Amino acid sequence: MALATKRWDLLLIMTAPPHYADTFTTVLRLADAVLRRDGSARVWACGYSTMLTQDTHGETKPTNTRAPDVDHPSSASIVRDLISGHGGRFGWIGCTACSDERGATNHIGEVLLRSPGRLMATMSTSAKTIFIGGA
Amino acid sequence: MTHRVLGILDRGYRGAVESQFFDPLYGFLDMREQLGAVDIVLRGLAVTMAVAEDAYTPSLDLGPVRLTTLPDYRRVIADMVAEGMDVTADEPDLRALGFTAADLLPGVSCMDTNGIARKWTDYDRVWFV
Repeated sequence: MALATKRWDLLLIMTAPPHYADTFTTVLRLADAVLRRDGSARVWACGYSTMLTQDTHGETKPTNTRAPDVDHPSSASIVRDLISGHGGRFGWIGCTACSDERGATNHIGEVLLRSPGRLMATMSTSAKTIFIGGA
Repeated sequence: MTHRVLGILDRGYRGAVESQFFDPLYGFLDMREQLGAVDIVLRGLAVTMAVAEDAYTPSLDLGPVRLTTLPDYRRVIADMVAEGMDVTADEPDLRALGFTAADLLPGVSCMDTNGIARKWTDYDRVWFV
């Protein structure tokens, strides 16, 4: 018997690059708004946003020379903690084509890798989809 | 030999969560010694990084994740002024957003775009960052 397909309340498709605007911050806040109402949300990261969840980031960002004693969490560790902290209600998908195109193929284990050929199928499992950003 | 560098920022808010401290302002502060004398011009939406306000805290509560290391642009601008850097906001861009020179942090000056352009020749390098 096939397993029932999991349903999600919100899918956020993020194609904007990080370190350019506050899109990643906005995506996290939109997801948080749904999660706070006991909903579920997942992010599909395309383009350079696949860089955000690379295992090579480690847990923290490079040392801030002006505040060397302060740990600044890496984007990968933030995503990992959000996934593990929500008991299956928050998910993160890395687009395999965009990851391969950019050599960003060392995602943290919590990221689900998915081909762009399954984009529409992924959208169909979500009650709402927001496409945010530009590639 | 000391270079004089004018850094022009016309775009702010480049990734609060992923960048945190690692933005162009940090770059200028961190590399100031090797650059020599550095002054800053804020244009476009970046002028708001020098607008005084007291409601913002550099934190974001995401449920199981609470970030307390988000950028505090106004504090960094104040640090730049304290370290002797000239920080100038573009007056028309400031006005277009509904602010005046009176809204700026202490020590930040306000100048018309043409006046700013005339200062370029005071510098060895003008960088759009």
